[in-house]
Amino acid sequence: MEPALSISHLRKVYRGGTVAVEDLSLDIAPGEFFGFLGPNGAGKSTTIHCITGIATPTSGTIKVFGIDAVQNYREARRQIGLSPQEFNVDTFATPVQILDWSGGYFGMGQAERKARVEMLIEKFDLVPHARKQFRQLSGGLKRRVILARALIHDPKLLILDEPTAGVDVELRMDLWRYLRELNAEGKTILLTSHYLEEIERLCRVVAIVNHGRIVSYGTKDALVRESGGVERAYLQATGAAPEHVAAAGK
Amino acid sequence: MSLAINWIGLSTIIRREVSRLMRVPIQAFLAPWISALLFIFIFGYVVGGRISLIAGHRYMDFVLPGIVMLNVVNAAFLQASSQVYFARFMRYIEEALVSPLSYAEMILGVIAVVIIRSLATAIGILIIAALFGAARISGIGEFVFWILLVAVVFGLIGQIVGLWANNFEQLTILNIFFITPLSFVGGVFNTVSMLPAWLRWMAWGNPFFYFINGLRHSMIGFTEAPEGLGAAVTMTLACVLGVVVWRLYKVGYGLRE
Repeated sequence: MEPALSISHLRKVYRGGTVAVEDLSLDIAPGEFFGFLGPNGAGKSTTIHCITGIATPTSGTIKVFGIDAVQNYREARRQIGLSPQEFNVDTFATPVQILDWSGGYFGMGQAERKARVEMLIEKFDLVPHARKQFRQLSGGLKRRVILARALIHDPKLLILDEPTAGVDVELRMDLWRYLRELNAEGKTILLTSHYLEEIERLCRVVAIVNHGRIVSYGTKDALVRESGGVERAYLQATGAAPEHVAAAGK
Repeated sequence: MSLAINWIGLSTIIRREVSRLMRVPIQAFLAPWISALLFIFIFGYVVGGRISLIAGHRYMDFVLPGIVMLNVVNAAFLQASSQVYFARFMRYIEEALVSPLSYAEMILGVIAVVIIRSLATAIGILIIAALFGAARISGIGEFVFWILLVAVVFGLIGQIVGLWANNFEQLTILNIFFITPLSFVGGVFNTVSMLPAWLRWMAWGNPFFYFINGLRHSMIGFTEAPEGLGAAVTMTLACVLGVVVWRLYKVGYGLRE
């Protein structure tokens, strides 16, 4: 079976020579809940940007369900839904407009779009806020809009770049429940987060990236077994000070 | 790779931008109409009433094509540059980048809105001019041809500037230093023959002269350039700019990291 996402020897060098990603390879099986961990500036978001078309890879290949994400970008992008770390929306637009336009970009017809927008607005409890401007919404509501937008075209691969950053505990739990539901329905999910608890609760396979390279990669259970916990594994893999590693999990 | 056009995606770009435009109707439409009204009133009606015929035409009829063209150029350039720049500045360009829209569809989406705004601007000015007894059009096809062609040219230039600019000041540089001066010396208010001999070569080398001259021919039938030369120059410019813009989108200049 084709992997949902296959990255082979990805390299990304920014103008000015900064190497953000170096020889990164990974495969994510269909239906997997995959955790992508790493400190700030490790290369997680750059990798995601290369997968989704926001950045151009310097070299290497990216395939989404067997479709080359650069050569056949149009077909590859239909398979992906992205919830980015930052709010990249027209802040004067309403949630309904944001979802509707995004569906339009993906070539969804009017009736299909309308039904899907209504369903997502309801699913994410956005009904009372559906006609407000994005900038008038709270941080949690904004995050919900961004997640709903990622799902508008019913993608098979969902990429969530720190989806619960700045979100209160209750909403975070709601999102976890919803992400589990989506995964149970068969969606492949790639999740980045700085909340290790989140990764521990949701993901089955974890990759830890540091300085643009994967430094640890395997099932969460194996990681916990070998290192004594995700937090400890993370700190060891990212070269944290020994006292921090020793303090982890205590 | 699929070559089929994503028509719904393309129409969404247009719908979205028209909706953004409708948030600022005063800036987008009323401002150029008021400016045109003042030009027509002062130069056409007040000053023009005291000037004898120019090239066999009333001064009001002579300046009107230049006033229309000035505003069409501005509308096209401002629309394209702000559409691209704001999408980059607020980062919602990423919504298009992660979608299955092609570069050509993204470029065409901008051009389509540029044409809508340019036509609305031109029609509004013609209505104002009609109130002053001007707004003659001798060749409607030629008139539309020039409005569309110039809108496309400045829609493409605007996209280049929108991709290049990194702040609001850079967005206005071209307008201040090139578009406004070149359009004023491109024959809005005078014929080339009225210029001192040593300055005439500047008119012939100024593309704005051909834009205004072409539109003037479509409106009052007066031309100072050989037939076809202006259209050829402008179409060549549009083609070259089209290739440049397509290439910039393809390499992700100003768009992709």
